[in-house]
Amino acid sequence: MASKSAWRVLGLALLLLTAWTAAPAGAAEPIVLGVPSSLGAVEGKESLNAVKLAVEEINQAGGVKVAGQARQMVVEAIDIRDSSPGVPVPEALLGIEKMILEKKPHAILVGPFRSEALLAGMDIIAKYKVPMLGTIAMTPESEKKIQSDPEKYKYIFRVSLNVPNWAKLLGGTMKALQTQFGLNKVYLMNQDVLWARGTANAMKGWYTANGWYVQGHDEYPTGAGDFAPVLMKAKTGGAHVLFTCFDMPESGILVKQWKSQKVPALMAGFISPMTGQGAWKAFDGKIGGVLNAIFELGNMPSQKYAPATAFYQAYEKKYGKGLEAGHGPAPSYESVYLLKEALEKAGTTEADAVVAALEKTDRQGVMGRVKFDAGHQVIYGTDPKEAATACFFQWTDDGKRMIVYPPALAEGEIKLPSWMKPAK
Amino acid sequence: MLQGTIIYGFINSVMLLLVALGFNLTFGISGVANFAFGALYITAGFLAWIGLNTLGLPYWLAGPAAVFITAVLAGLLYRFVVLRVRGLVVSEVIATFGVGLAILELFRFLGFIGFEYTLPEMLDLEVSLAGVIVDGQRLAILLVGAGLTLFLWWFTRHTRTGRAFRAIAQDEHTALTLGINTERVATVSVAFGAAYAAVAALVILPLGTIAVNEGYHVLVNALAVCIVGGLGSTLGVVVASFMIGFAQTFTATYLDTSWMMVVSLLAILVILLARPSGLFGSQKQLEERI
Repeated sequence: MASKSAWRVLGLALLLLTAWTAAPAGAAEPIVLGVPSSLGAVEGKESLNAVKLAVEEINQAGGVKVAGQARQMVVEAIDIRDSSPGVPVPEALLGIEKMILEKKPHAILVGPFRSEALLAGMDIIAKYKVPMLGTIAMTPESEKKIQSDPEKYKYIFRVSLNVPNWAKLLGGTMKALQTQFGLNKVYLMNQDVLWARGTANAMKGWYTANGWYVQGHDEYPTGAGDFAPVLMKAKTGGAHVLFTCFDMPESGILVKQWKSQKVPALMAGFISPMTGQGAWKAFDGKIGGVLNAIFELGNMPSQKYAPATAFYQAYEKKYGKGLEAGHGPAPSYESVYLLKEALEKAGTTEADAVVAALEKTDRQGVMGRVKFDAGHQVIYGTDPKEAATACFFQWTDDGKRMIVYPPALAEGEIKLPSWMKPAK
Repeated sequence: MLQGTIIYGFINSVMLLLVALGFNLTFGISGVANFAFGALYITAGFLAWIGLNTLGLPYWLAGPAAVFITAVLAGLLYRFVVLRVRGLVVSEVIATFGVGLAILELFRFLGFIGFEYTLPEMLDLEVSLAGVIVDGQRLAILLVGAGLTLFLWWFTRHTRTGRAFRAIAQDEHTALTLGINTERVATVSVAFGAAYAAVAALVILPLGTIAVNEGYHVLVNALAVCIVGGLGSTLGVVVASFMIGFAQTFTATYLDTSWMMVVSLLAILVILLARPSGLFGSQKQLEERI
């Protein structure tokens, strides 16, 4: 018995010795990237995939050079489930804190899904002083919070679209619809969550200020699956445009109901199940005519901006299918490169130095030129050579996604659905 | 607009009826409130999807196979999990809810996340009813809803297993004395309820996408209808489905869409306060009278 134990100890010692000698001498500590997000939502899942893609590319190219030392990057992810109805914000925050305490990330990427969780989580990020490059939650309240106390909240950045820039994109597209077809009567429909409510309310103001008539406005709780009553109201009232703002899977039903009821109004806004190329097959080709936004270029390829297409194709090659999310993956990919540049510039992983370097970012990336404003929001514009860019595409009747706005990226003109006539 | 509201209210009611029938059937016969019901509904959806897209089976095979496998899974759930805690109501609820949670989260863990998980429509057409355009899938829902309700009525009155269902629903101990194997019948009833959930999934899910969270919504809807109608009462389920279905659609049309989902929860609250055994429930009628 005793000899058996002795053999076991000897075997273990040999194993440890082998492992120790096999390890590269003086291998530098890896850079840990924490991804606490709603990994059960398409946006979260694909954003994590995009982060992994960038990390793989960087590691293969030699890693991050911090103070003359090449360091590999590793990704640690946790599903905080804040996109699911019924998951309270404190539970999501516990997930973020657990990630920070257990995995000790040098930076957090992607971050909370819901704006509610982002706002509440900002104090945790500030407490542990971990740079965060968020890519999903969209509320501008976070920027106000950063500006109200920059020293405390300086660790938080947003690389993706926020509500005010989203409203600007919508405004530009609606203006084009007004000019081109004389459309000026709108019915607003949105999911009852902070970012969508904020968008719809901002757009309501925009419509009124720009001579549109707001026929109605309805908010749907997350999980609602029947949109017929509101579509009937819009049809009866003669709305020209159905403004939509949804990120729940059930919102795909809305498009099929719109098409089957032949509501003579153009559907324009954001419906997350409509964004990916797979939507055409998934919804039996019954989505032709829908105008949908892509929050960050790169989440779909562009004929006019090669880096976006390069990222999209790299993702497709690695994961075997194109992106479905119109929000999250491209800026998540970009975030890893932004962080790499900041770490190399700072020459240290010390948070304050990395934040200072991030603030000076000026990089031509997959979603356009990336620079941050005082609220640590990436600056948006309508030309990717000058700023980060979002776009609108339209599903054609033969199942293609065609970018129609902004003009710098447009691949074709907006068309009304076959059962709808111009208002002028 | 009123015609439209009535027609879509009717369709919404039949959808509620479809998801509640199976849940109610299981409870009425075996006395088990199957809280894994929503998970079984989603399981059927994903099984059909796998059959169609991964295995490349034709619909006439993938659909029935999904129903059959879901029913077998539910039967196994009863034999190997619920039977051990049978009669301990709280334990039954915890066990079935736990299994349901595990199934749903397993799908999430396995990567069944995305918008590509959709089922094909059964009827690809559009019909005008009183000037209101209704798509083929909603017509299919109406037909299947009516068919399943009539089949249940026929099955429980004109087949040996159906009569055994009714026997143990009325009095399990007396049924035992008459030579009915109550454990076997209860297992069949759980499987039967799951098959109803699976058929509901095959007709309702083509309207949108198959999402894990939908499993929780289905459970809440089934519970709401059964509590309002009276657990175990088929007539109660039919009446409650139409009450809640119409209330939801009228609320969305004439009040506010954000109140739509609150309607079913409000209905549960009102019924629990006014008549805890539901509109047609006989479970605790005596206690209520006292």
